[in-house]
Amino acid sequence: MHEHIKERIKTVITNLTALPSMPEVVTRIINMVNDPNVDFKVVAHEISQDQAITTNILKLANSAYFSKGKEISSIDKALVTLGMKEVKDIVVVAATKQILDKPIIGYDLPKGELWKHNVAVAMLAKRIALDKKKRNLADLVFTGGIIHDVGKTVLALYVASTFKDIIQSTIENQITFAQAEQQIMGFDHQEIGQIILKKWKFPEVLQNIVRYHHDTDNAPEADIEAVSIVHIANTICQMAGIGIGGDGLYYELSGKAIETAGLDDTELQYYYSLTPELLKQARQIM
Amino acid sequence: MSIELVNVGVAQLKIASSPVILRTILGSCVGICIYDRNKKIGGLAHILLSKSTNPSQPEKFADTAIPALIDQLLKQGCRREFMSAKIAGGASMFKFTSQTPLGLIGEHNVAMTKKVLEEKKIPLLSEDTGGSSGRVIDFYLEDGRLKVKAGGHEEYYYKV
Ligand SMILES: [Fe+2]
Ligand SMILES: [Fe+2]
Repeated sequence: MHEHIKERIKTVITNLTALPSMPEVVTRIINMVNDPNVDFKVVAHEISQDQAITTNILKLANSAYFSKGKEISSIDKALVTLGMKEVKDIVVVAATKQILDKPIIGYDLPKGELWKHNVAVAMLAKRIALDKKKRNLADLVFTGGIIHDVGKTVLALYVASTFKDIIQSTIENQITFAQAEQQIMGFDHQEIGQIILKKWKFPEVLQNIVRYHHDTDNAPEADIEAVSIVHIANTICQMAGIGIGGDGLYYELSGKAIETAGLDDTELQYYYSLTPELLKQARQIM
Repeated sequence: MSIELVNVGVAQLKIASSPVILRTILGSCVGICIYDRNKKIGGLAHILLSKSTNPSQPEKFADTAIPALIDQLLKQGCRREFMSAKIAGGASMFKFTSQTPLGLIGEHNVAMTKKVLEEKKIPLLSEDTGGSSGRVIDFYLEDGRLKVKAGGHEEYYYKV
């Protein structure tokens, strides 16, 4: 354990201003989705308060991936045509791009790689949820996928100076890269991610997706389906080398996650074989 | 003068000549680099799976991408007797708590790649495969050398 690094990380996470920030309107929208009494007009008004976000949202809403061929000229129109949940996904993409679309040095990810990875994981997770008739989880696992590795953006600086020790511990102790991060730095990128989402006041289920994406077996029972789907989408994207970094495939593929998601061998192989098409889709909104 | 760097994506196949550098990033996929040392022309196929299930996408599978790669090199005037291969990739998840074949994709990709190269009588001169590292590989068509970057560590393979 590198005590001084652990202390430095502790300082960063207790001093909330050192963590990435999120416009309040995004948090409000994410929480509104689950409120059956929400009025579209209120949501549209909320969003249009932020001009920069509005511009980005309209651009994304008109991308091939989201628009479904319809022209969307206003937030109102987006809400009516695409629905509240889809608009929420778009808001999350617009709001997280600047946090994730940058070089992540310690993990050996050049600019754009982490962003591509997270977008691909989000799209694959949503696809799996829809294919498995888990419609109610589709938007949730998309949002979870977009932010699952957000902890890396903060931890990268410390991984940069301890990488050799982390990899060595992974191999010597036959543990995952995340467990070795824990052991060497006192924190792993899942825990840091959860702390960031707490700061943003994102719902607990999203916090749990981020916190357990490499550790499904310990996820709270209530959220295990969503965690499992993101875990599998993440594993498949890593295997296909999408945004793969210095931590490589030094993680675990959970049998419990596969069982929980109800995927058989043929389906798993099928999703893996789809990754080139998935990447093309990801580029439409990157 | 700067040397052109060409990225080869998942399930893509690209041919180029000296002094271009072909680059790709690999997890369980395998990067197959074939070089004609006489013409200084080479190609890189980034395959995702071992056995073809879709004839419209030969670049995706080892058993169809390798013949396609050789054919394209022959069309450029390359000759079999000057060709040799280097391969990299085929990593697997470090741990798995299930017996899914998903865990064996890397191994299967490497095995099929070797089998097809042997059938096509292209000598395999070096391989950097297996394990759990992601790999960034650069194939230098200037002299056919291959650089493999994995987990913060670089390795060069020079034989052609
Ligand atoms: Fe992760
Ligand atoms: Fe990830």
